[in-house]
Amino acid sequence: MTRPTQDKPQSSAPQSPGRRNMLRGTAFAGAAALTGSLASAAPIQRRFAPPRTHAPDAQVLRVQAQQMQAAEPADLSGLERVQQKLVRPPFAPEHDQVAEGPPKIVEVEMMVDERLMVVDEDTGASIWAMTYNGSVPGPLIIVHQDDFVELTLKSHTRNTLEHNIDFHASTGALGGGALTHIYPGEECVLRFKATKPGCFTYHCAPGGAMIPYHVCHGMNGAVMVLPRDGLKDRDGNALKYDKIAYIGEQDYYLPKDTSGAYRTYRSAGEDYADSLDAMRLLTPTHVVFNGSVGALTGNKAIRAKVGQTVLMVHNQSNRDSRPHLIGGHGDYVWESSFSDPPLTDMETWFVRGGSAVAAMYKFEQPGVYAYVNHNLIEASLLGATAHFIVEGDWNNTLMEQVTAPHVSEA
Amino acid sequence: MLIKPSAALAVAAILFSGSAWAETVEVKMLNKGEAGAMVFEPGFVQIAPGDTVKFIATDKGHNAASIEGMIPEGAEPFDGKINEELEVTLDTEGLYAVKCTPHYAMGMVMTIAVGDGVEQPEDYLEGRLPPNAKKRLSAELENL
Repeated sequence: MTRPTQDKPQSSAPQSPGRRNMLRGTAFAGAAALTGSLASAAPIQRRFAPPRTHAPDAQVLRVQAQQMQAAEPADLSGLERVQQKLVRPPFAPEHDQVAEGPPKIVEVEMMVDERLMVVDEDTGASIWAMTYNGSVPGPLIIVHQDDFVELTLKSHTRNTLEHNIDFHASTGALGGGALTHIYPGEECVLRFKATKPGCFTYHCAPGGAMIPYHVCHGMNGAVMVLPRDGLKDRDGNALKYDKIAYIGEQDYYLPKDTSGAYRTYRSAGEDYADSLDAMRLLTPTHVVFNGSVGALTGNKAIRAKVGQTVLMVHNQSNRDSRPHLIGGHGDYVWESSFSDPPLTDMETWFVRGGSAVAAMYKFEQPGVYAYVNHNLIEASLLGATAHFIVEGDWNNTLMEQVTAPHVSEA
Repeated sequence: MLIKPSAALAVAAILFSGSAWAETVEVKMLNKGEAGAMVFEPGFVQIAPGDTVKFIATDKGHNAASIEGMIPEGAEPFDGKINEELEVTLDTEGLYAVKCTPHYAMGMVMTIAVGDGVEQPEDYLEGRLPPNAKKRLSAELENL
């Protein structure tokens, strides 16, 4: 760190070093730490935080605040306000596929809730999850292009950490992250215009190492911004779905003790140092759908019927994924946005870490389908599997067991 | 802290010093201490101008940073790096509120009083503070 030497009262004050300071070769270390004026002359253990990309300069923030103060008020006259009641994943809030009328202000509310959640019942692995509305992932928000999302973000009084939200669907101020920092017991309101159609992730981003720490504790979800006239195929023909399956993929990095058992903690935030060590390895201990191993399998499987079209919205805020529906396909897949024509008839599609993707499929056969992250190690060993249970009549034209397995004749 | 001044230091002191020999006070950053989880220990330090406070990264995951608006006028803010020791020499008299950035909302804060007869500014605790931080700061200020 180099800064021009300046005469400041504090730097001119004498420093009387202890023995350690003397060994470090400077008597000015303390003053340098405080003022920065003599830091370049101090060959000592780092006393300054290095420049941090996550913490914008205070001057930049002041300028931004001034710009906001000076800005023209937004003209929202004549816009209808509606409230969207958010629901727990894998379900989607009530919505129109084709927008009715002009753009609206869609009011939503999310409560930040730090809660102890079991990640894997078999091992007892648990985490002080950081959640929006108590679920991992946070709830799905659905609006149409050019609608306004007006979020009231609250933090429960029993929480212990600072939180905020960065909407990839929004424009400016770090996705709203710079305007939504709240402490326990606080709340704020952010409004943004959904200018781009597509599925977009949102996540907590309090700054620095806290960003992956919160995201890897479940603090993320998705906004779906539909085109006003609904989804279309590449030729412009309308595409409709009968239901949405909202799947949030979560990579967890749970600290273990020396015997290999998962550590437990008394409150959110206590695992900070251990978690950072575990995250640094980039090797998740769990990759799960909707918060925990088996959250969408067995009797919690997603239900559908033959002939129904399901829109699978897959969110992954941190890490690449490759969803595959075993026994089915992606008829239409919007990997990028709804502005681009959908990819068609896909076997496996790609979710870039830090994005959400929509895939549409009409079920043609009854039975159980496994929806997996087709890194099969993650699907089978780390938890990234969901099930669709589909009712209906079997179609022998599509598939038939011509001969059941039996011992081959010699 | 026991100080054994060498001749060189004594000269340095004469050359550069107008005040008495300064001291260094150590503050530990801990996951658990007497005041509960996530603490600076001690949570209150009284020093003379020119003294140094050394934050020791006893447990990992912590830093020490001055709280905006809660240091004396004219004093330079400081912001330590996570997991690293930080020394700050404080020359401006008054109250300094210090936080651990990741655990601020959990109440990981401490107070340094520089100089004798330091008084708490009227609006010192009136800014936007996490509830747990305010609670601990209030307790620390009882030492004044």
